[in-house]
Amino acid sequence: MLKEEIIRQLEEIVGKGSILTKKEDLATYAYDGTTTWAHPPDVVVMPTTAAQVSQILKLANENLIPVTPRGSGTNISGGSVPVRGGIVVCTTRMNRVLEINKANLTATVEPGVVLQDFNNLLAKENLFYPPDPQSFLSCTVGGTVAENSGGPLCIKYGVTKQYVLGLEVVLPDGYVLNIGGSTVKNRTGYDLVPLFTGSEGTLGIITKVTLRLIPKPAARRTIMAIFDDITLASSVVSTILANGIVPAKIEFVDNFVIRRIEEKMKIGLPVDAKTMLLIDADGSVAAVESEAAHILEFLQSGGAEVARLAKDEDEANMYWKARSAGFAAVYGAARTVIAEDVTVPRDKLAEFVKKLEGISRKFGFQIVLIGHAGDGNIHPSVFTNSREKEELDRLQDTLTAIFEAALELGGTLSGEHGIGLEKKRLLSRALDPMAITLMQRIKALFDPNNIMNPDKIWES
Amino acid sequence: MSKALLTEIRKYESDTEQCMKCGFCSFVCPVYQEEKIEAGVARGKNELVKAVLAGELELTRDLADRLYKCTACMACTETCPAKAVVPRLVVAARADLVSQIGLRFPYGLVYRHILSNRKMMGRLVSAASLFQSLIMPATNGRVRHMPDFLSGLTKGRQIPSLAKKPLRRLTPEIIRPSSGTPVTRIGYFSGCVNEFVSPHIGLKTIDFLVRNRVEVVMPRAQGCCGAAVFLGGGDFVTGRLVADSNVAAFNDVDYVVTDCATCACALEEYPRFLADTPERKEAYVRFAGKVRHTTQFLIDVLDLPASAFRTSPLVEGKRLTWHDPCHLNRHLGAKQQPRQILNSLENTRFIEMPNSDRCCGMGGQFSLLNPELSIKIGDKKVESIASTEADIVVTACPGCQFQLIDGLGRAEKPQTVMNLMELLG
Repeated sequence: MLKEEIIRQLEEIVGKGSILTKKEDLATYAYDGTTTWAHPPDVVVMPTTAAQVSQILKLANENLIPVTPRGSGTNISGGSVPVRGGIVVCTTRMNRVLEINKANLTATVEPGVVLQDFNNLLAKENLFYPPDPQSFLSCTVGGTVAENSGGPLCIKYGVTKQYVLGLEVVLPDGYVLNIGGSTVKNRTGYDLVPLFTGSEGTLGIITKVTLRLIPKPAARRTIMAIFDDITLASSVVSTILANGIVPAKIEFVDNFVIRRIEEKMKIGLPVDAKTMLLIDADGSVAAVESEAAHILEFLQSGGAEVARLAKDEDEANMYWKARSAGFAAVYGAARTVIAEDVTVPRDKLAEFVKKLEGISRKFGFQIVLIGHAGDGNIHPSVFTNSREKEELDRLQDTLTAIFEAALELGGTLSGEHGIGLEKKRLLSRALDPMAITLMQRIKALFDPNNIMNPDKIWES
Repeated sequence: MSKALLTEIRKYESDTEQCMKCGFCSFVCPVYQEEKIEAGVARGKNELVKAVLAGELELTRDLADRLYKCTACMACTETCPAKAVVPRLVVAARADLVSQIGLRFPYGLVYRHILSNRKMMGRLVSAASLFQSLIMPATNGRVRHMPDFLSGLTKGRQIPSLAKKPLRRLTPEIIRPSSGTPVTRIGYFSGCVNEFVSPHIGLKTIDFLVRNRVEVVMPRAQGCCGAAVFLGGGDFVTGRLVADSNVAAFNDVDYVVTDCATCACALEEYPRFLADTPERKEAYVRFAGKVRHTTQFLIDVLDLPASAFRTSPLVEGKRLTWHDPCHLNRHLGAKQQPRQILNSLENTRFIEMPNSDRCCGMGGQFSLLNPELSIKIGDKKVESIASTEADIVVTACPGCQFQLIDGLGRAEKPQTVMNLMELLG
């Protein structure tokens, strides 16, 4: 528990209406999007300016109080869970879009801007910010930078770190640091910007972000394909990419999801099929027509049972809605669903799926696949009930086995969710030990008192 | 507190597990959009109820304040990938709160002795209507500050004044079509607002129905729908008294038709929340099956052609826009029926407003408990309405109508607010 005096000072900084201390409120800042991690903070503050954030961090640093930055709390790594209590600095009220510069193709926003609100504003200007974590309706831009989020579009457009040009960050001692700028090229000493992109709130609090934008693609076509054999589907994905076509998205769902979609939407999918691919091509009208035709050809010659080019926007939307419905069905199917985030090289997808089938059999958990085939990030989702102790242990072994299988194939521990609490027990097996040592030294350099989001990323 | 006492929320225990904490609800929640506080949004409320069920939190007044802060607009459920129905959970939690810590003053008094007793309410309202012109100035020539028995709770908002005579004194109990056999026999459920504030709308509806060969009964034994009592207030005990008397009053009709979206919704919810015995269950289910909002009845049951809807001279040549009442749009699922009627009106122009289905912030008791928040939510609606440059914003729920009149009036916007039935000639 924090001293009354600290609470009083925090209240002085942010004002009476921007501080929460009652247990009924604190309980709602105990969690993020994960299932298993929860711990309430001692206090939640909702600053509206960088100056307030600076005063908060100074106070916390002087009194050695843990600080957990939080946007909408939609991350799925345990990253914004205040495991040591202390102060949650919630950025949701720092939500102004400060500038959209159409001529320079940049935008500057406060961290609490919700991604979809930002996208809606950009759409009016015919602009496009591609990173698309699937929490886009709720996640904040600050959160996506701190987590270096990605989504289906990353196959063609990359992830958040490819778009962050400049940052204003409050360091743990209260210093308001400006790094980067608003130019695409910027070669001035060490690039400190990417250090914060993906830092999971362990180095400071982001208070302003300048992002690179691109013009909105003029056209989009959607192609849906069904395969009876995951190996065929996987090799078609490689064929498409090897032929110089980079679709905007290549999404992948398995038989479980196909069945659920068909139950809900009755769009005529063969319910015995093993795999469905959903592919988007985007760009200029001419390029999209030609790419879509090629993709269709590759799918047909590559052994697809069904390959359909959506005839209009409505049909395209129907497929994407089906994919969302599938996503929901997966989460509604069991009491606890752990969405793994391991990622394998694209050409190892089929092999990985075979290994997952073996793991499912061995540990007795159903594992469903719904993810991004374009980048090898297929989110094996384990159905379980985390309230049973025996199952919880078996679950940990299952997750370890999934991770080991990915690692054997040259994959990585986390594609887009980050480490947070969820994956830190496996970090030392995923990285060169010296890499972890360097990270810890960087952390100590920025945050010698270890107040910023402590206990995250690596085991202490 | 013993966990065993959480009778109502326990019924929804498995529903609380539906939420996967994606937070999509925050994007559409009118309360969260204003405050950006987690306890305001469905995900937060769901977690609070889970904590109560797990024995980690108690049903305190502080918890109640958070659970009551919901307009029940259902936008969260509509957006939810897992279709978690948190507003139902909120109603159940309110019920357990009431049985644990009681109703807060003065609501207990109002629910138990006034809303549940139409005669008592009638007397109070008549008295108020006599005095209102003496003590309250007319505002903007079309609305007055409401001098009702809840005046302390209206916080100086502009609300329509009370009618001189209630609807029941203006219409006979049974009205038959002048010729031919009636196509069906309906009971008209007036609701408190058409009964006491705008009986002319009730008369209009009854007249329209009769002209379309419907026999209309207006049972004198009907009372308040109970929305404020059991949905808003969580007082299920009084709710059952209200429900029982309404069910009995409408025993011998084919349909129960109301102009109030909130009433229609409350009547439909009797089985879900109030059926505590097999007898009640059976009676409530049968009753709920007969309930229709007027727009649903005209389009879905009577299947009236466009030509049946003539334009009232009052709105000839006017530009109209439509506000979707949450109770009509999301609770009852009637999205297209009112639009079909609006599009049938010759010599008018229908313009969709942006976010027509966004909650206006009324939410019944919500606006009494959170007046400032309710006004802020309403102001967003006013912006949407104004952007259409329509002459008239049309809706079909008296609660929304109050809120829109107040918001447009305060913002000094030119639009007037009308009930859909008022547009018909």
